[in-house]
Amino acid sequence: MNSRIRGGGLSTLVFLLPLLLVFGIFSWIPIGRAVLMSFQETNLVTPSTFVGLQNFRDVLADPLLWTAIKNTLYFAFLALLFGYPVPLLAAVVMSEVRRFKGLYSALAYLPVVIPPVVAVLLWKFFYDASPSGVFNTILGAVGIGPISWLQDSAIAMPSLVLEATWAAAGGTVIIYLAALTGVSTDLYEAAEIDRASIWRKVWHITLPQLRGILLVTFILQIVGTAQVFLEPFLFTGGGPANSTTTLLLLIYDYAFANSLGGEYGMATALSIMLAVVLGVLSAIYFRVTRGWSKS
Amino acid sequence: MKTLKPLALAIALATALTACSSSTEEPKADGPVTLKVARDPGLDKGAIAAFDERVAQFEKANPGIDIAPQEYNWTATTFTAQLAGGTLPDVFTVPFTDGRGLIERKQIADISGLVSALPYATKFNENVAKAGQAEDGKMWAVPIAAYGQALHYNRALFKQAGLDPDKPPATWDDVRAAAKQIAEKTGKAGYAQLTTDNTGGWILTTLDYAYGGRTEKIEADKATAELDTPELTSVLQWLKDLRWSDNSMGSNFLYDWGGINQAFASGQVGMYVSGGGNYGSLVTQNALKPADYGVTVLPLAGKPEAGVLGGGTLATVSAKANAAVQAAAVKWIDFFYLNKLTDKDAAALDAKTTAASKQPVGAPQLPVFDRATYDESLGWVKSYVNVPLEQFKPYTDKMFDQQLVTEPVRSTQEVYKLLDPVVQSVLTNKDADIAKLLKNADAEAQALLDRN
Amino acid sequence: MSRGIISPSEWLRPGVRRTTRGVHAVLLVLLFVIGLGPMLWLAKAAITPTQDTLRSPLALWPHGMDWANLATAWTRVEVDKYFLNTVALAAGSWLVQLLVATTAGFALSVLRPRYGKVITGVVLATLFVPSVVLLVPLYLTIVDPPLLKVSLINSFWAVWLPAGANAFNILLVQRFFDNLPREVFEAARVDGAGPFRLFWSVVLPMSRPILGVVSVFAIIAAWKDFLWPMLVLPDPDLQPLSVRLPALQRFVELDVFLAALAISTVIPVVLFAVFQRFFLKTGALQGAVKG
Repeated sequence: MNSRIRGGGLSTLVFLLPLLLVFGIFSWIPIGRAVLMSFQETNLVTPSTFVGLQNFRDVLADPLLWTAIKNTLYFAFLALLFGYPVPLLAAVVMSEVRRFKGLYSALAYLPVVIPPVVAVLLWKFFYDASPSGVFNTILGAVGIGPISWLQDSAIAMPSLVLEATWAAAGGTVIIYLAALTGVSTDLYEAAEIDRASIWRKVWHITLPQLRGILLVTFILQIVGTAQVFLEPFLFTGGGPANSTTTLLLLIYDYAFANSLGGEYGMATALSIMLAVVLGVLSAIYFRVTRGWSKS
Repeated sequence: MKTLKPLALAIALATALTACSSSTEEPKADGPVTLKVARDPGLDKGAIAAFDERVAQFEKANPGIDIAPQEYNWTATTFTAQLAGGTLPDVFTVPFTDGRGLIERKQIADISGLVSALPYATKFNENVAKAGQAEDGKMWAVPIAAYGQALHYNRALFKQAGLDPDKPPATWDDVRAAAKQIAEKTGKAGYAQLTTDNTGGWILTTLDYAYGGRTEKIEADKATAELDTPELTSVLQWLKDLRWSDNSMGSNFLYDWGGINQAFASGQVGMYVSGGGNYGSLVTQNALKPADYGVTVLPLAGKPEAGVLGGGTLATVSAKANAAVQAAAVKWIDFFYLNKLTDKDAAALDAKTTAASKQPVGAPQLPVFDRATYDESLGWVKSYVNVPLEQFKPYTDKMFDQQLVTEPVRSTQEVYKLLDPVVQSVLTNKDADIAKLLKNADAEAQALLDRN
Repeated sequence: MSRGIISPSEWLRPGVRRTTRGVHAVLLVLLFVIGLGPMLWLAKAAITPTQDTLRSPLALWPHGMDWANLATAWTRVEVDKYFLNTVALAAGSWLVQLLVATTAGFALSVLRPRYGKVITGVVLATLFVPSVVLLVPLYLTIVDPPLLKVSLINSFWAVWLPAGANAFNILLVQRFFDNLPREVFEAARVDGAGPFRLFWSVVLPMSRPILGVVSVFAIIAAWKDFLWPMLVLPDPDLQPLSVRLPALQRFVELDVFLAALAISTVIPVVLFAVFQRFFLKTGALQGAVKG
């Protein structure tokens, strides 16, 4: 297999130049800089000075950090609660649709197509907490509410997750649908010889066959929710009473929200800590997908 | 001749170079300067036209300067990024609270030399001037507007609720009663409160002052946070009563400055507390109906300490501006912000231009200079006034009688920021424990003050 | 003949058929309400006066329609300008991503230099670094970029160039190029084609499918981006819709604002309707490649 087309010459370098420049300047150097900055005090006015682990200590001493961790975990938990079983169920049902299958997938996928900012701003209006808000009008018709949605520190987070789930579930459904077509029909036929019911087939064949992709979407969702920003930023700005302050929002606040100069050191320190956790998760993900794509 | 030519060229070049380099020190030198100046975002067409007209007048008077307006307003959450990114206009505005910090970090240009040459440099109201001065008394940032907090109210909602719009509430109990009546009769929020983007802390501090409290104490060089106080407890209890006992605060409790102005202008809010000079932005940015607008002084508790929180706006020049740009910038500050307060012709021209584009002239402000200059300036623009002065009377009649108290000076915005969730808690969680909230906030604020 | 969980014989049983059809019908109704409902409401609200939307949000035009909202949104809110900015940002990001991914894929998979493995390794390693880590240092890099000496803030390049540093694209393209038949390259080489001819006339034409996938990912990502353009494009004249809309909310009356939202939704929805199959196919791919 050793080919005669082997570059080592100048032309190879020319082809690699865009990669080296773009990755070098906008990925590798900034990553290195992030690590460096987490040990430095940077205010963009005077030269940076090394402060050892001070940034990490400051972050760990910030009472908001624990609030943000709690909120982020709560977001992830709710996102799994709302966003995990429903798309799976929908996909299994949809996979049996004979006519207008395209219509089903198109409708399910439609929210994914809407620009996320538009979706959030629209839902922000839907969540109007007065009795004449859109959702409260609908709920009022069946005798529920009015609910305070974003204006109640206990309900704000579930409200955020509801919108996020609506916006993302379609994508997950499509992924499951694709995976479902990969389930071998032989397995079903074998089960039918044993007179297995439809339910048993779903439970004992379909779901186990989806194991790989289920784990993948699970980790994807965790990694995604750990970096959730748009919803808390646009819906509530982290409020009410910090009930929706997430980790990324906290990083953003450290760096950009203090009018007299950002705590860039603390922001990078926290992002490095978050990265380590997510890195472990991603590593698991890659191990899993590698095995999964080979099988 | 042949040998002389290069020499002559060299000399000419050298002179040109010196001319160039001296031009950076000598602002009078020619050569067009482009000056990026701040313009409020979201202005309606008329307001933009008025602004452009003022720009044209300035450019005519200063042929060497080319003005490039840039949309800008100060918000706590966007300012740092703009400062770090170097995307601020050459002339931009910041609140009093940030002046000292910016000067100490040399994040704005030292224009004190140019400012001291202005004819009215010594006439600034002493308290106001302080906000823009460095420790040594040099004025790096120019105060262009001052405000005292006021209670804004919607006259139409007052009428609908059976209240007399000419007799606005005079005590906090009155405010509560009026809010309840508005909420019951009209279904709108009787009283609304700013809570996000540091404004929650700003208004909470305002109410604390009005109740006779202070949020920080400075002795020698040590600053002590005073958040866990009876005054702040009463303020939060008052808010809690409005929200949970009376249910008179509507259903939105996450308001930032722009948001509450919009809600008020569209008739969703009966009363709210904000800067007394808000009328202009309510009209030009939020299409407020002038007939609906009412404003009165903040109710003050019967204690000698009770006072009105006052602040203001500083015009500052980017630290990156070279001498020529700095000179042009100070000319613009003089022309656009200050001349109309001190010079009869300039005041009349400004008022005429503004009124011609149907923009408000004559809304109340606190004087940046001494009271006499202020009273005089009101006379200059009298014929152009197009705002309902009668409706401002409850405020203008009493605004000078109230004790004005400046904002806290140490870590002001940071302390405001950590008070946001305190007031949000009280408004969005029925079981919020006021004592505990204040105790925690006090500890956090103290930690902040000790750190900085 | 394809089949699913339900076997053909089960399908013949009336009980199964009825239940399945019933479940399918319920699901279709739900999908209509959930998927299409909000958009239909937005379309309605876009041409409804503010007070009607506030008082009775579900009523259908109790006091008539207000088509002027759309025109006001287009002119006063300048949706046209922000839309063009969005298109420019997406197009530039797409070009940069394609350029970087194809040249790099070609160099690493076809030319295969000795140090190729190292570069691939370093590129793929960035996959494990979540984008949040880059937020602050990348911002500071844009403020003061090496080599350039000019701040890229308020320049489209600040969005375009970092978009190119996308390791997924490299991974995708590289995998695809790896599977191209090397005999073809050898043949081209024998015919005297240099690496540039090989790249342009042989490899690129063969890689349309993967370029399509990378393109869809690139455009969707650019269309959705919010935080990054918000940070590096503070000048409203350069901002895409996603950044400008939240800022405008404070100054624009509700009916006009909702009209602006509706306009911003139409284009992606139309694109989706036209290229539906392709969208859904790449959407499904997302599970296999994205992390």
